[in-house]
Amino acid sequence: MIKIEGINKSFKDTKVLNDVSFGIENGDFTAVMGPSGSGKSTLLYSVSGMDKISAGQVIFEGINISELSEKELASFRLTKMGFVFQNAQMLKNLTIYDNIILPGLVAKKELPEKIRKRATELMRRMELGGIENRDVNEVSGGQLQRASICRAMINNPDILFLDEPTGALNSEATEQVLGILAELNSEGTTIMIVTHDPRVAAKAKRVLYIRDGQIAASKELRKGGDSALELDNWLKAVHA
Amino acid sequence: MKLLLNLVRKDFKRNRVITTALAVFLILSAVFMAGGLRVTGIMLSSLNGLNKMAVPPEYVQMHKGDYDEQAFADFVAQQDYLEDALVVTMLDVKNAQIICNGESLEKCLMDNGFVAQNKNFDYLLDQNNEIAIVKDGEIGVPVYYAEGLNIKAGDTMVLKNGAYQKEFKVATIIRDATMNSSLSYSKRFLISPNDQQEVALHMGEWEYCFEFLLAEDVSTTVLENAYLTAGLPSNGVAVTAAIFKMINAFSYGLVALVIMVISILLITMSVLCLSYIIRATLAEENHSIGEMKAIGIPGKDIIKLYQIKYTILVLIAGVIGYLAAIPFGDFFSATVIRYCGDGSSQWMQWIFPLVGVVLLSIFVVCRCHRIIKKHLKRTVMELIRGEEKIKKEGHYRLPLNGIPVGNLLMALGELKCKWKEYVVILLIFVFSSFLILLPMNMNNTINNPVFLTYMGIGKSDVRIDIQYSDKLTQQNEAVLTYLDNDPDIDRYAVYQNGYVQSQNVEGEWEYLRVQNGDNAIFPLEYLEGKAPMEKNDLALSYLNAVDLGKKVGDSITIIYQGKEHVFNVCGIYQDITYGGKTAKAAIDFDSKDIEGYMFYLDLREGIDIDNKVAQMRTVLLNSKITPCDEFVFQTLSSVISNMNRVQGIAVMISLMLTILITVMFLQLMMAREHSAIAVKKAIGFSTRDIRIQLGIRLLVIQFVAIIAGTLLANTLGEAIFAGMLATVGVAKIKLLVAPVWAYLLCPAVQLGVVVMTVIMGTSTVRSYHIRDQIME
Repeated sequence: MIKIEGINKSFKDTKVLNDVSFGIENGDFTAVMGPSGSGKSTLLYSVSGMDKISAGQVIFEGINISELSEKELASFRLTKMGFVFQNAQMLKNLTIYDNIILPGLVAKKELPEKIRKRATELMRRMELGGIENRDVNEVSGGQLQRASICRAMINNPDILFLDEPTGALNSEATEQVLGILAELNSEGTTIMIVTHDPRVAAKAKRVLYIRDGQIAASKELRKGGDSALELDNWLKAVHA
Repeated sequence: MKLLLNLVRKDFKRNRVITTALAVFLILSAVFMAGGLRVTGIMLSSLNGLNKMAVPPEYVQMHKGDYDEQAFADFVAQQDYLEDALVVTMLDVKNAQIICNGESLEKCLMDNGFVAQNKNFDYLLDQNNEIAIVKDGEIGVPVYYAEGLNIKAGDTMVLKNGAYQKEFKVATIIRDATMNSSLSYSKRFLISPNDQQEVALHMGEWEYCFEFLLAEDVSTTVLENAYLTAGLPSNGVAVTAAIFKMINAFSYGLVALVIMVISILLITMSVLCLSYIIRATLAEENHSIGEMKAIGIPGKDIIKLYQIKYTILVLIAGVIGYLAAIPFGDFFSATVIRYCGDGSSQWMQWIFPLVGVVLLSIFVVCRCHRIIKKHLKRTVMELIRGEEKIKKEGHYRLPLNGIPVGNLLMALGELKCKWKEYVVILLIFVFSSFLILLPMNMNNTINNPVFLTYMGIGKSDVRIDIQYSDKLTQQNEAVLTYLDNDPDIDRYAVYQNGYVQSQNVEGEWEYLRVQNGDNAIFPLEYLEGKAPMEKNDLALSYLNAVDLGKKVGDSITIIYQGKEHVFNVCGIYQDITYGGKTAKAAIDFDSKDIEGYMFYLDLREGIDIDNKVAQMRTVLLNSKITPCDEFVFQTLSSVISNMNRVQGIAVMISLMLTILITVMFLQLMMAREHSAIAVKKAIGFSTRDIRIQLGIRLLVIQFVAIIAGTLLANTLGEAIFAGMLATVGVAKIKLLVAPVWAYLLCPAVQLGVVVMTVIMGTSTVRSYHIRDQIME
């Protein structure tokens, strides 16, 4: 689905990503881990086309997105990608419901009625019923983050990018979000998530460990067993 | 102090665009404030200096034809309130006979007289404001012609009548305290007494000006009544010092007043901007302020910390404004200096702007202090929590009815939620629009032939005057015959001027100049009531109505030929001719009492006015024939040229301010909405979409502001203009708008400027990234 080939990213004189290559297949759930400043978020933004890369290429379903114009990239993000950020960034002048349906109405891929129906369904699944007409600052952090996931899913994206989605949440809210992600992935949604939390990464099928802008190690996680323990042991080995 | 200055320097560096824009606003305010006051100072100094040296008369009665010298001398001896009196003998020469640098003054509409220098008072001055002296063969040329025809000392002037020709060398350019202005319809050339006598043998007609200086506190009305009662010569215009002052105020003061109005607008805009920026900046600093308060730094010191930046800005603006006001003020004072000299009170041009700038600075500093102090009143916790940031803006809803969600809808929705943030920019755009339209509308009004109706003259193509002649009746008949037989004349009306007496509010009998004729053909705009239609109707000029204490519907008793007649006041109209004191009624004057005839006429469509006037002048030799449009141009030329300059500068300043405020506002808006912009980009809005949304918001504000500014210019602007013109006897005036410019081109340019500024000012949106939000 996505082929990342030798990408480099520099900020002024500092090289943040150094010749990174890997692939993401349909239905993958890839977690990116690594110490602070290792380049994991930069990798996510580079793969999603949100950041311009300095060298290399990102081929998304056969299209080299590094060569797309800013306008084409925006349209690509709108229709093929979904994003969830750490602080559950939402537009303050829209209600929770309108924030969720906005990308759908702007994309004009489907009829508004269909988008509204999907939004209602997504909100029901995320247990967000009853807060539709509330302002962004009138709901809890967990509710807001789940609403962000609804918004990211409104256009049925090919891939969901998440940057530390549980970073600002308490344990209960974190569990809820993780449950939803696992469910979405099991239904076929491809996910790439950046996290420093092993509990989150343990839900993934594969973990990439970034250090100094390079993939230092990668690990396929077996499902059905105690993947958290397996990951923990692996991380200890990587750190060592 | 060093620490404070370091902080200020860092703040300037961090907020370069906003600080620069604010500085420009303050500097412009200071320049206009100081500039307007400098023009006022120069004008007052110039007029004072000219009047001091020239000693203009306080009452002048003009007359053509013979008069009884002994009767005049007796009259002067009997009036103990007279300080001095003199008779100026003026040789009126036809304009076609005057040739300056090879070109005749034929097209000029002024009456030109040749005089010798006066004794005791009413001196004609040279360019050093000293009493001008010309030798035989030399001439002093009025500054009006020197300006208009580019005549310099050393040039040649010729008077020519048939075979007779007299050549003069221009020795000096003349300043004339009574007839300097283009609004005064006569001009005086200075020649030696010998030359005057010589020329009189070959050409010209004698006209006399009976001039008086009055003792302090004596009204010219007392003299006027005594003069007319004594039956002294009076077939010409009577002019008082008040009229000279009015003419000067209009000629030189109007521009100063417009600049002052502009400066008040600019100050208002600057203070609005400043208040907005201080609040926005302090909101960003809430946390730091809260911490400072928490560790016990006294409020006074915190105020000082934030105040110092604005105090430094105001001081810089004040100094630059004061210095820039020197060339700025001089540019707009060039006319008054040329016409009246530097004057005797030059300190005014330095002290007036200084006082203005100091007052402006104090005002701005106090305003800053008040805003900062109010902000600091909040508790430490309120400040640290940054309550400003979580202020509820409300939300807008996306449409349910299938209306496409695009940039327009998003922009309007956000505008609805954030409208309070846009009040300042809206007001500044409104003032900016007002700033363009006010001088433009004023200029258009003065330039418009309809303006004549405010001067007491009905709008027509051509006006013919027959005055001061022994053969009035014959000349009148000659003109009537001509008008009746010329197929090019579409319609005409004839008016006669004469005097009657009426009682003023103090019960004294005053002479009233009355015009008799058909007022329906070339009607004036009436302030109240209507033109006289019935036999006993009488309309009064506004100043006469005030002076006589009359309103529409009142009755008025007049005396004509010793008999009392009761008239009904049917209307009140504007007039600035004859000092603004005239009346209109159907009084059947005896031919001996008629002091002059006036004809207004319209030509048939397609007839060239200039050609027709030239043709009529060859037939009606003893009449003064004036094309009305040209008359407006020549009379108001100096005012119009200065108003054109003011208008140009106002447009430039206004557009510059629009750019500045837009840039400044965009910076603040984008900083405040950094997060929302980044989110929009992340969910799939392109940079272009976001820039369009920002642009739409500002364009909507600008559009509303243009409508409000236009309404304001048509209402408040009219009141301001009327207030200015009230000083010259015009009570009420309607602003005449040039619709294509005011309603189409100017708004288009203003909107275009905002579009361009948004395109340039939002280029940084490209660099906004969701990453920055997550880091916060």
